[in-house]
Amino acid sequence: MTVKVLILEDNPVARAFLCRVVRDSFSDVIAITEAGDLEGARKQIALAGGGSGMHGADPFKLILVDLELPDGNGMDLLAELVHYPATKIVTTLYSDDDHLFPALQRGADGYLLKEDRFEVLVEELQKIVRGQPPLSPAIARRLLTHFRSGNDHDASSSGYGLSSSSFAASKPVPLVEKPLDHERLTPRESEVLTYLSKGFTIKEIANLMGIKWFTVNDHIKSIYKKLNVSSRAEAAVLASKQGLV
Amino acid sequence: MAALPSQPSLTAVGDAPGPSKPLAEGSAIDIDDSGWERRARNRSPSARWIGWRLRGLVLAALLGCLAMFVLIRALAQQPVLEQRLTVDDSGVLRLAGPAPQPALAFLVDAGGRAQPIDRLLVVRSARWMVSAADRQRHLQEHDALAAALTSGQVQFIDDRGGRLSIATAPRGAVGLGWVFWLLSTLALLLYLVTMVVAMARPGKRNTLYALMALSQAGNLMFLAVLSAPAIGWGEGFMRWEHDTRTLFDLVTAGALVNVSNLHPRRLPFGTRRAALAWVLLAAVYGVAVVLREPSSWWWIQSALIAAGVAATVQLAWMQKREPHPLAVQLQRFSLLAIGGLLLLTVSVAALGPALDPRGQAPMLGSTMWVVFLTVMLLMLPFLSRTQQLMREFSLVAGVSTVATALDLLFVAVFSLGSFASLTLALFISLAVYAAARQWLLSKLISSKRISTERMFEHVYRMAREVQLQPQSTAEQLRRLMRELFDPIEARVAARRTQRSQVLSDGTHLVVPVPELRASDGGVPGAIVLGFADRGRRMFSEEDARLTDRVVDLISRAVAFDQAVEHGRIEERARIAQDLHDDIGARLLTLMYKSTTPEMEDYVRHTLKDLKTLTRGLAAPNHPLTHAVAEWKADITQRMSDAGCDLTWSFSCDHDFDLSVVQWSALTRVLRELVSNVLAHAQATLLQVEIHLDRGTLTLAVSDDGRGRQPQGWSHGLGLGGVRKRVKQLGGDVVWRENEPCGIVCRVTVPGLASAAWRPL
Repeated sequence: MTVKVLILEDNPVARAFLCRVVRDSFSDVIAITEAGDLEGARKQIALAGGGSGMHGADPFKLILVDLELPDGNGMDLLAELVHYPATKIVTTLYSDDDHLFPALQRGADGYLLKEDRFEVLVEELQKIVRGQPPLSPAIARRLLTHFRSGNDHDASSSGYGLSSSSFAASKPVPLVEKPLDHERLTPRESEVLTYLSKGFTIKEIANLMGIKWFTVNDHIKSIYKKLNVSSRAEAAVLASKQGLV
Repeated sequence: MAALPSQPSLTAVGDAPGPSKPLAEGSAIDIDDSGWERRARNRSPSARWIGWRLRGLVLAALLGCLAMFVLIRALAQQPVLEQRLTVDDSGVLRLAGPAPQPALAFLVDAGGRAQPIDRLLVVRSARWMVSAADRQRHLQEHDALAAALTSGQVQFIDDRGGRLSIATAPRGAVGLGWVFWLLSTLALLLYLVTMVVAMARPGKRNTLYALMALSQAGNLMFLAVLSAPAIGWGEGFMRWEHDTRTLFDLVTAGALVNVSNLHPRRLPFGTRRAALAWVLLAAVYGVAVVLREPSSWWWIQSALIAAGVAATVQLAWMQKREPHPLAVQLQRFSLLAIGGLLLLTVSVAALGPALDPRGQAPMLGSTMWVVFLTVMLLMLPFLSRTQQLMREFSLVAGVSTVATALDLLFVAVFSLGSFASLTLALFISLAVYAAARQWLLSKLISSKRISTERMFEHVYRMAREVQLQPQSTAEQLRRLMRELFDPIEARVAARRTQRSQVLSDGTHLVVPVPELRASDGGVPGAIVLGFADRGRRMFSEEDARLTDRVVDLISRAVAFDQAVEHGRIEERARIAQDLHDDIGARLLTLMYKSTTPEMEDYVRHTLKDLKTLTRGLAAPNHPLTHAVAEWKADITQRMSDAGCDLTWSFSCDHDFDLSVVQWSALTRVLRELVSNVLAHAQATLLQVEIHLDRGTLTLAVSDDGRGRQPQGWSHGLGLGGVRKRVKQLGGDVVWRENEPCGIVCRVTVPGLASAAWRPL
């Protein structure tokens, strides 16, 4: 069964590189569709069955979205593909949380840093597909603040000052009611996040907390899911407020 | 009602002495919290004036006007001589008219007897006659005249024995003279102000003030009545005039002594002293009026002057105990008043009938002095309102004393007519005022304000410091206010206020502390200043406006600085983004296209350095703990990729924000050292230790690889860069051999922690 992959990347050299990475990561038969800009990507998605609602018979299983695109921002595409049943991975040169966190909030399942070596990229890609996404200390910190306040706080105290102005949807109206219970972190999850924010590896965290390595990963996975859910809820609220829905 | 004063000073100082006391620095807030806001903000406490007060005031006003009408009517109906009497330069009584007029020697009274008359018939006031014998004669003559006037015709016998008959006619309102209207209006005004003050807050002080003011109003009325050009008042009026005016004067003196015990501060044993004063004054009154002592005039004058001196002494004592700016002002005014009285007394005593045949000096002098007192009493409730008013008033007081003296001089010595002398005296005193105003000002009101340049200097310095440390705004403002006003106390209080307010009628000033950063949090406070100029000056509205402007200036300066900084940050972020996106993307492509792994690593390294640089440009805040977490994650990743073990150890006694330079330098140094180990050492274990201890950062990277003899190394770009960065940070770096094998590189940076730090 062929796995359909969409790679959205404007730099052709980087695109070729990512193709190699994808092919090397999976033993399945891969059919890679390449797109150089947002328009092209949208067209490809439409061809494959549409962005939301009816996905058609043969949707993409994996989408790699470059954040730095010439005709817009990859985030917009991510926002459109919120309900798309593929694994969405963001590729970017930026490694700071101000750029990555909003992507994660819009439903990205993980991120790849373009500067990493080939082997590293392969490994990371496999981990994300397996459900073990990476979490840098900065992102862990952002997640902690995010879940603590229960609201969307994109304008952070650290990081690029410009990014908060470039993302129009970055400051939606805060939710009036408290977040639902399943969007709150459990104490264990909070603990994992706190350790991550201090720079500990998963193995070290497992040792410190006295749990298995897999458990830590499960916690991270559930954190991501909660982030997705709360982000989707907020996106829905925002969309309805903006009259898009 | 708009002209009514709202909180005259005598009332608003309140009945509790506590609030006005200067407190030790830092002690609890003692100002009457419940009332100050209400009082300070309420310019026209209209709520207060609804009810009995308003009714009472209206009633009092009506009564006053009624009394005035009755008086005017009575005066108008009084019969007066149709021809005026005058005294020539040699002191002989004649009829007024073209010379030569016969000298009048006798008056035929009601019983047909000849009453000897002299110049005393023309002299108005008995109160200011020195000799009691004169007063007796004066009384007799005026009584005789009054009796004669009622009969419709007055018969005079001149010195040659000829008889003159002069008809009488009612005075009429026109015959009252413009001076009457002037003085009576002033008296009415004083009466109304007194009523307002008395009713605004009834109390001991206000009652005493009312006594003083009403006595002087009475004096004014007498003077008004006496100023009518044509002679003719009721029988016994002169005696009544003398007695009542003496009473008024003594009452004023007593009230003055009493009030200077109470206001602005209470003095110990005040009641006893006041009682003693009242008793003594009553004794003097008895001597003068009941006993008709020959030298009673001297007794009265001495009593008045003594009372004034006593009041001044009390005020001085009060000032010494607890300085109060009002006390200083009152002292000055009372000194002026005593000076005037003394001058008046001396000149009246010195000018006998020879120098001043018409007796104008006492009349004029006493009028001016009473007017002067009236003006002082009128202004007393408003003393603290504005600095300007006080200054002008002080000057007016001084000038009027000078004018009085000059006038007396002109009348007596140069024998000018009363109008001419008055005009000349006023003219000269105004000239003196204009010429000496500046000098007088600096003498009267000691305002040691700092100059404008220095103030601006202070303000801008404060703006700089406040920008660095917004939490110190209150303290900085306090210091600035200290410089400006030199107060006895300056406290930070937690209360909200929109603008600066003057409290307790000039003793305290509240200045709002501006909220300069949104992150301030907490209650925006205020600075409470007390007793300007070490208690010598009062706060006025101008001071409040000045502080408002200063606070506004500071806010603007800080806002401007913030805007500039904001602009700079935005610009830096833009540069960073451009650099990152364009150059970064090209380096990425270069990296992909590199032919050898070494080249790829080199380009990757360069790319990472670029990212560090641009990230440092864009984001100024890098807390140490966050930076360490990122370094750890990064190095762990690289070590696990390379299959090398890592030991990580970190401790710090407090967290702080690394500056851009520090963060990017440390990041690159660490990266370079680790790359070096990975590239050359072939180690199996890497040990990284980072410690922050009392501001000194130590970073040690040790490996167990094959590196030896580091002192013989030639440093390439990488290690050279490390040396440069460490030097930039102000630290030093040294490579040594590790036991049993490998290299340890130790970086020490003393004084890394900057001023802005926060505890862990």
